[in-house]
Formats: sequence, structure tokens, C-alpha cells
Amino acid sequence: MVKLDPAMIHAVNKPARYTGNEFNAVQKDHAQVQCTFALALPDVYEVGMSNLGLKILYEILNKREDTAAERVYAPWIDMEAKMRENKIPLYSLETFTPLSQFDFVGFSLQYEMIYTNILNMLDLANIPLFAVERKDTDPFIVGGGPCVYNTEPIAEFFDFFIIGEGEEIIVEVVECFIQWKKDGCVQGRQGLLKRLAVLDGIYVPSFYAVQYNNENLIESVLPICPEARPLVQKRVVKNMDEVTFLESPVVPYIDIVHDRIMLELFRGCTRGCRFCQAGISYRPVRERTPEKLRALAKQLVASTGYDEMALTSLSSADYSCLGEFVTDIMEDFKKEKLALSLPSLRIDSFSIELAHKLQQVRKSGLTFAPEAGTQRLRDVINKGVTEANLEQAVRSAFENGWNTVKLYFMMGLPTETDEDIIGIARLAQKVVDLYRQVTGKRGARVTVSVACFVPKPYTPFQWFSQNTQEEFARKQKLLKEHIRDRAIQFNYHDAHISYLEGAITRGDRRLSKVIYEAFKQGAKFDGWSELFRYDIWMKAFETCGIDPAFYNQRERSKNELLPWEHVTPGVNKEFLLREYHHALKEELTEDCRHGKCSACGVCPNLDVKVVDWGKRHD
Amino acid sequence: MTKFRTEITKGDEIRYVSHLDYASLMERAIRRAKLPVAYSEGFNPHMKISFASALAVGVTSAAEYMDVELKESVEENVFCDRLRQALPQGVKLLRAKMFEGKQKAMMAIVDLAEYNVKIPLIGDQTAICEAMQAYNLAQAVTYIRRTPKSCKEVEIKQYMQEAVQAAFVNEMIVFTMKTKITPAGSVKPGEILQVFKTQFSMPILEDEALIHRTGLYAGGQTPIDLV
Repeated sequence: MVKLDPAMIHAVNKPARYTGNEFNAVQKDHAQVQCTFALALPDVYEVGMSNLGLKILYEILNKREDTAAERVYAPWIDMEAKMRENKIPLYSLETFTPLSQFDFVGFSLQYEMIYTNILNMLDLANIPLFAVERKDTDPFIVGGGPCVYNTEPIAEFFDFFIIGEGEEIIVEVVECFIQWKKDGCVQGRQGLLKRLAVLDGIYVPSFYAVQYNNENLIESVLPICPEARPLVQKRVVKNMDEVTFLESPVVPYIDIVHDRIMLELFRGCTRGCRFCQAGISYRPVRERTPEKLRALAKQLVASTGYDEMALTSLSSADYSCLGEFVTDIMEDFKKEKLALSLPSLRIDSFSIELAHKLQQVRKSGLTFAPEAGTQRLRDVINKGVTEANLEQAVRSAFENGWNTVKLYFMMGLPTETDEDIIGIARLAQKVVDLYRQVTGKRGARVTVSVACFVPKPYTPFQWFSQNTQEEFARKQKLLKEHIRDRAIQFNYHDAHISYLEGAITRGDRRLSKVIYEAFKQGAKFDGWSELFRYDIWMKAFETCGIDPAFYNQRERSKNELLPWEHVTPGVNKEFLLREYHHALKEELTEDCRHGKCSACGVCPNLDVKVVDWGKRHD
Repeated sequence: MTKFRTEITKGDEIRYVSHLDYASLMERAIRRAKLPVAYSEGFNPHMKISFASALAVGVTSAAEYMDVELKESVEENVFCDRLRQALPQGVKLLRAKMFEGKQKAMMAIVDLAEYNVKIPLIGDQTAICEAMQAYNLAQAVTYIRRTPKSCKEVEIKQYMQEAVQAAFVNEMIVFTMKTKITPAGSVKPGEILQVFKTQFSMPILEDEALIHRTGLYAGGQTPIDLV
């Protein structure tokens, strides 16, 4: 057990990040269990503690008497320095057990810009960074989460990955491990990996050989042992009412990013925005019933004592029973003064009315995501939103007393022209003018946030070349010049970070050495702009003789074997290609939930169905 | 309107929780306990609870006091049972007393705090005692209190109720400090330790100190004995 010296902990910022003992935290005696599982999120406590997926896995694992699951997050740089100085290994928050003593260390892969933190955490835990160097006494390092649809850049650091939704497969992994242990740990680490590889949704990267051709492109990715499947498909929960959800999540002592109950209404989103990876990877839409949700809410309020609950989903306003459900749940918790929030608003007046009904704190403002500045480009990305929709939504917001609106856009989308960029400024101005029209006064505050578009694997834009940094800078300048009203505040992303993210997200196994090199030179918390070191990264690429532009700025041929194709969320490549062509022709594709099936392939490939309870009464 | 005055603790498990976070963990516990607590009116209702005195990050306490206002009355043992089951590690409910009617806010009446401060002993006991004696005998001691925004000179001896005492137990120094809480201000044990070291050359590692509040009083009585 790790002991922290008071002088050390007194010297760091927010020491309660590192001292555990939160309400509902589960502390078990490791001598009494068969399997110990550390659940890690490679970012600071406040971010890590806000992750819903890990909370769910924590409960599922700890419900088993034979398993202990504990939490670990990345120490902030002040704490890391103290830990290194005092030779304190990275430890779990429940029992202060060094990470190296766990059977499994599972990392949640939320975004590419925390990959160096994974290496830093392994290093702080004295666990070998490369899977091939690990011995029988080392933990198995497993990854899961949204980034699993291209794990090639970090493949060499992981023993295996869990692809897709983890609720069921995590239990199979633990049972497989316990059996393997009972059998005397036959064939050592390789023995367990072989047993795991036959499970649906498990990807063991070391069981695949990648061949490159003389153009540096991938020639083949082939299994090298009989247990490994040629194609690994994601796991998907068929019935959201039956699967375990949170009952008693850990309640932190310090303010975290999402410091409230998260009630997950449904999984998946089939609006079909062509830039969106989550829209593909979480298919199909599967709703919980309102009855189930009310019961879950009751349980969660009782077990946590929170006074705030967010109704979460990729697009919560699309929940088919939302209107009625919100009314019911407000009635259920009238006495408790529970505040409800809807984190993702749709651009329509229904959403505004709901937000109004929920009495969301007005000063925080409303956020909409038109994503592109012109109708033409919104059609390219299949964002089924018109200027009239936005006008109507914003008007309704102003009528209901809001005066602050945030608008999210992207730049660098396929087929984008300067007209589309200027369209962002025009749209923002229109919102400002609308305020004057509706209220008769000045005083609107409009924030325009423009991200640099990063093409992602398993989207219709996966073949597209990302804009250069110079092009992003030019477009940012152009937009700035066209924003003249002082009521509009313009925020934009650091193109350096997007450039790097672009290289890694569509990278292949050869990037492992670049990430390792960047880590060795001190890269960490790359997603935190104050700590991001572009120079280190560019030097790492140079040292390894790899050009990032090969990964982020190369338009891929449609025949090219992409590095991630042997692991799939179940979508057919033909669908993605079809969507790419529709995009170029500015043609819309319907939401399959209400319109016709767009034949993405997910339902038949994974033997799963859309679950929409709004249709129950039809 | 029913109120409960409670005597609660802040244990080692939650040593690094700030006063604000301590208040919110108590709010959550009260909600989990399903007590019929009263809320303020308005757009953003807040729970009607109040504390006697704030406690710094890193300091534990055996004597915290919290008032809770209820909408309807609850028997004392029911109140205690329900709250106890909902408390996190590190908080113990020692006593609770129901009272009716108006009482002055505890924040306004507490005037004395007692602390127990443990530090590893390095060097010899004589040096510690001599430095402490010199501090105790000094007429006035000025401490420069720095916050991120300001820098202020404070005469701290005016806030000492009694002389600081020291005991030596198992390689540890245990100081007992009694400080006055006044409308004009007070002094924190951590500040006294800094003064010990910087102005009286006491050989201590003040960062290693474990500070524990042992008592809080108003006119010689604990706040809970006042109701």
C-alpha cells in the first residue's frame, strides 16, 4: 500500500484528487478476490471522474464478489513531480495499491491527445510500456472506449482492446481470466491472450502481422494465429433496459467536470452527420423505456444525494418520449429540488421550450451546432438543419429570455470555399440582428466557436485530406475580418493540435515509435493547450523519419487498404463510400430512425435492431 | 420550523476537502438521508444549513457544528439514524439536538478554537521549547499574511487565548494551541507554525504538520450546549 507524506500532499494543487475515500467508493481486500482490475482514464481526476463508461464498468465489476475494480487517473504535473521525487508509484484511489500489482489495467481511450499520458502513467507505475516487454508478473494492459476504431498507433503498448460497448464483454474477460488462473495460467500471458482472442469484440494487436508495400501503404493485415479473427466486430448491447446501469456511482468530494447524475436516455444517433465518428460507431439507436429511466433516476438520486441530473445521450433531444418523460421526472423530484439539464440541444423550438421548462440557468446561455456557414455545406455534411430552423430556434430562445447564444462550427470540411467561411460570420450577424428584432434592444451575446475539422476513421470523410495549418490560419483570418459586430466573440482552435490529432487518428502501427519518442521528450497532457508542445511532436516525427502529412493531408484512394479495417463498428465500407459521393453531390440522407434504411449494414452485421419507444403507441 | 444543531467531525479520510466542499458533501448526505430539509425560496433554491466556522484544506476536526433547518419536525433519534447512514467516510455525527425558534448564527458567536498539532520531532526538544517560550512571552508578533490578491501585516498575539504548549510523544511534537475568533479576525495554527520557524528559529518541518481542531466554543460552551 502506498503511503503519502503530508508534506508532499500539502504541496500540490487540489490534493483531494489523490486521496480517495469518496462516498460509494468500493474498497475490497485483494486477498479475497480472484481478479483485480484498475480502471484508468489518462487525464486529470476531474475529467476522469466524469466519464460515464468507466462508472458503469466499475459497478459491473464490483458487483462480482470475486473481482475488485479501482480507479486511477493521471496525476497533474505538480503531483507527478512529487511522486517521481519521492519514488511513489502510480496507485489506485480505493486501496492505494500500486498499479503494477493489478491483474488488469484498463485505459479508457477518449481522444487521441491523451495517448502520451497513457505512457506516462505506465511509466509512473513501473510497468513496461511495450506489450512485448511485459512479463508474467505484469498486469495486462487493455484499452477501450471511443478511440478503438483505430488503435493501430498505440497497438504496441496494449495487450488487447475491447471493441464496442463494454458491459457484457468485460465480464467475459474477467471470467476467462479466472478460469485461466485456475488452470494454472497455462502458456503464460500468451495463453490468456489466445483465450481472449476468440471472444467477440476482443482485438489482440500482436496476433496480426501488418505488411507494407513499396509505396509505404498497407499491403495486408493478417492474423498470425488460429485464435485471431480476420475481422473483429464491435460488441453492442441489444436491450438497454436489461443491461446494468449505474446504481451507486462514486460521489466526488471536489467539483468535477460533470458533477451531477448522468442518466443515459439512449445510445446511438442516426442523424447521419458525415463528419461524425460517434454517429457511426454507436449505431444503432437503442432507447431505454421511460419507466426504466424513472426507476433508475430514483435510485441514483437516493444513492448519490446529487441535486442535479443531466439527461445524456449523443443527441438527447431526439429521445422519442422526451416531452412526456421530462414532465414525469420533474413531477417525481419536485420535493428534492432536483435540477434537470439537457446537454445537447437540437436546433428547433421544441428544444428551446424544453430548456425553458427545465429552467436551465439562463446566464450559461444556449449552445447550437450548425457546424457549417452555408446551406450548401450543411448539405454536404448531412447536417439536416436549415437557416430557417436556426432562426426559429434562436428567436424562440430570445423570446424566452435568453440573450447568450453559442454557435459551434467547423472549418476545413470537404468542398469548403471562402464563401462558406464568410457564411459563418453572416449567420452569427443574423443571430445578433434577430435579438434586436425580437427584443427591440441591443445586448445579445453571440459566441462563435470554430474547430478545425479532423477527418476520422469510419466516417464518409475518412479518405479526405485535412486542411494544412496554413490553410486553417488563412481561413481563421478571413473569418475574423468578416466578423465586425462587437456582440460576436470569435473563438478558434489551435490548428497545431488539430494537425497532430489528424495525423494520429488515421495513423498506423508505425506511429507507436513517434508517440513513444514524444513521450520520452516530455510530451504529456497534449489536449491541454497550456501543456501542448508542438515542437516536441514535430521533432519526434523527424527523429523517427515519419512525415505527419502522409497521415493527415494525403487524400486516400478508395481502393487503399486502410490501417483500421480489420476492426469494425459493423458499418459497410460501401455505405461510407456511398455517403462520400452523396456529400460531393450535396445530397441528403434520411435518418433511418424515421425515414428509410440507408443500409449502413450495422443491424444485420451485428444482429441488432433500432429500439425507438416513441413508436410503441403508433 | 424545526432546527437541529449537530456536532460532527472531519476525519483523516477527508482531510484535504475544502470548507465549501465539506458543506456540499453534507448537503448530499442530508439529501441521501431523505430528511425533510428546508430550502430557500427563489429561482435557485439552496438548502438551509449553516456552519460554525470554516476549516482549512488539510485540517481535520473533532468538533464541527452545523445547523439544519427542517420543514417538518423529525424525532431526534430518527434524524440521527438517517443522517448517520448517509454520511461518507470521515464524517461522524457525534450529537444532534433539536431546537425551536431563533438562535444567533453560530458563525457570529464562536470565539475560541482549540487545536492539536502533530509534527515529527527533528533536532532536540530544548530548542523547540525555547523557541515556543520566546513566542509565548513576546508582546507582539507580526505575521505577513499573503493571499493571491493581497499581502497584509497581522499582529497575531492578540488572537492567542493561552500560551502554546508542547508535549513529546513517540518522536512527535504535539502542540496545543488555543486561538481567539473575533470579528476582527483570528490566526490559523499553520500561521503560528510558520512564525515559529521563521521568526523564532524553531527547528520544525512545518509542511509535515497534521493539524486537528479539538474544540470550538462560544462563551466557554460548545455551540451544541447553547441550545
